[in-house]
Amino acid sequence: MRRGLMAGKRERQRFGCGEAARARRMGVFMEIEVTGIKKAYARKKVLMDITFSLGAGSCAAILGSNGSGKSTLLSILAGVRRADGGSFYVQGRPNETGRQADGRPARGQEETRPVPPRGTDLLRHPGQIPKVLGYVPQGDPLMEELTAWDNLRMWYDRETLKRELSEGALKLLGIDGFLKTPVRRMSGGMKKRLSIGCAVVSHPGILVLDEPSAALDPVCKENIREFLDGYRKEGGIVLMATHDAQDLELCNVCYVLKEGRLHPWRYDGDFHRLAEELCEKRGHSL
Amino acid sequence: MRQTAAYFLAQLKRAARLLPGQILVDLAVCVCVGALACLLVTQGAAAAEGSRYRIGMVGDLSDSYLGFGIAAVQETDDSRFMVELVPMSEQEAEEAFLRGELYAVMRVPEGLMESIIYGENDRLITYTATQGQQGLGTMVMGEITDLASTLVTCSQSAIYAMQRVLLDQGRGEETGRETDKLNLALINLVLARGGFGEVEVLGYGDGLSLELYYFSGMILLFLMLSGLLNSALFVHGNGAFSSFLKARGVGAFRQILGEYLAYLLLVTVGLAVLCLPLGFGLERGLFRIPEWEGMGAAPFLAFLPVLFPVAVLFAALQFFLFEAAEGIVNGILLQLICGIGMGYLSGYFYPSAFFPEKMQSLGAFLPSGAAARFVQAGVLGKIPAAAWGAVFLWLAVFLLLAAAVRKGRMK
Repeated sequence: MRRGLMAGKRERQRFGCGEAARARRMGVFMEIEVTGIKKAYARKKVLMDITFSLGAGSCAAILGSNGSGKSTLLSILAGVRRADGGSFYVQGRPNETGRQADGRPARGQEETRPVPPRGTDLLRHPGQIPKVLGYVPQGDPLMEELTAWDNLRMWYDRETLKRELSEGALKLLGIDGFLKTPVRRMSGGMKKRLSIGCAVVSHPGILVLDEPSAALDPVCKENIREFLDGYRKEGGIVLMATHDAQDLELCNVCYVLKEGRLHPWRYDGDFHRLAEELCEKRGHSL
Repeated sequence: MRQTAAYFLAQLKRAARLLPGQILVDLAVCVCVGALACLLVTQGAAAAEGSRYRIGMVGDLSDSYLGFGIAAVQETDDSRFMVELVPMSEQEAEEAFLRGELYAVMRVPEGLMESIIYGENDRLITYTATQGQQGLGTMVMGEITDLASTLVTCSQSAIYAMQRVLLDQGRGEETGRETDKLNLALINLVLARGGFGEVEVLGYGDGLSLELYYFSGMILLFLMLSGLLNSALFVHGNGAFSSFLKARGVGAFRQILGEYLAYLLLVTVGLAVLCLPLGFGLERGLFRIPEWEGMGAAPFLAFLPVLFPVAVLFAALQFFLFEAAEGIVNGILLQLICGIGMGYLSGYFYPSAFFPEKMQSLGAFLPSGAAARFVQAGVLGKIPAAAWGAVFLWLAVFLLLAAAVRKGRMK
């Protein structure tokens, strides 16, 4: 008992405290640094000088009114759209990521989290993005006619899929309960969980979600939040665009996207104040 | 590449799930297209072989020689296959003309024969037609009028002239015998008229018979419109999926390629479904194609590989149209309009030779025209490199355009 406490003390001394420290204790060292991202559609500037950085174990929310550019920003980071300028670096140590301090794989992670070569600007090398980042777009990126199994098989090889279903991320998402169900017969929550399941195929260190809890019932939202919380606690970085106050409880960083710029926001549980802030910028009243 | 292959396999699974319903729809459309083809071939054959211009003859037809001339034209001349001369009264002709039963009325003026006998030839046969424009029918009628004038008036002039010469020479007793001889000579002349020139029938579209022309045209039309049948593959398409694929490293062109190959499978199955009843019909002799007469379905089976490159081209065209249209309903409408429009211009409904020259050039340039040329050349057994080139050029154009549209949409 005493030996265990001492070991814990040594780890705390080595890695520090808090969520990021917890992630580092588990051997995950991943950081993202986004600098000066710009994007314009025709003459309309949607994003101007978007700059932020996030460390391992962070969960960041991007808030903003409809059409403010949240989805555009996320899709640029995911490599779907091309930015007009800026950079996006992901740093980490490949030999240690995804492993606990004693060298064993982190819980639910049989494989290490991949990282791109040091100094790679992912906006210039979008081919590296799928290795480090999982993206869940706003709609459901699924084939309606196929079952959950068929959709997953598109991304996972058979062995990995079975392993993930029995003890990995897919088990945490509860996908094994509706494997044979065609997507068109699934509820919104099932589809969202399956979408996330497809996105985390490469054990990405970063998970980008565009309004993950939109149009879901409270139980489904809670399931997804639990998964994201676990993901973040294991050193993953979660970045989501959301309009949902409950999602913010999960996040330790909030940003408001206004007039193309990202402003840090301290969420104090008062969602009404946030709404006022957004309306003020749009010239509306609540 | 592995993910592209996985995506293609997933699309194949989708296509396979849709196949049973697809085959049923294909069969239903086969029946409709077959009925249309039969109708067109029957009508075309009737127009080419059976139908005749009906012309009412009114006026002074009392002269026996004139009657004999008309009978000779109707019974012995080649024009009898095109023209039917019907003696009738003025009243009957007017009524029939107004009812649309007559194409034209030919009016023989009173005293025509006397005018001819006395060499005056100052009475004209008048010809009244329903159409004033310079069409094919009017041109033929002009020829027929000339023919009638020549045969009837000139031959009668010759007979009367001969009779007068005989009378002047005091050989009145020979008149009957010599008239018979001259009549026979004229009839022989009429009978032999068909041999004056040699008619070479080139056929439609580089020498195909009407039946084979429409047969290939209907198959092409079916392939062209098969996009309407295969639209189910596009019903659940969404932008989120494209974005997700892109985020997973499957770019626009690879997405298009994976989806297109699955779509091509559906088009190919549709083609196979169409070919089954066609092959059966040919084998059993339910319909005949002159070029393949008595050979059963063997020439048709040999012809099938020619259709595959065309199916590949049309699948790409349809795929592009679905990609370019906003929503499935617009996609279906676009398929229909483009399919029928391009098919019409490229001569799937009527031989393109019927159209003005500029339309023919446009029809030949279109992908439907490239496909028609390819198939017609394939039927004749030799496909030139230019035909292959045109098919593959259009294929590349459509796939690249589809990828560009997808890319633009993701942006």
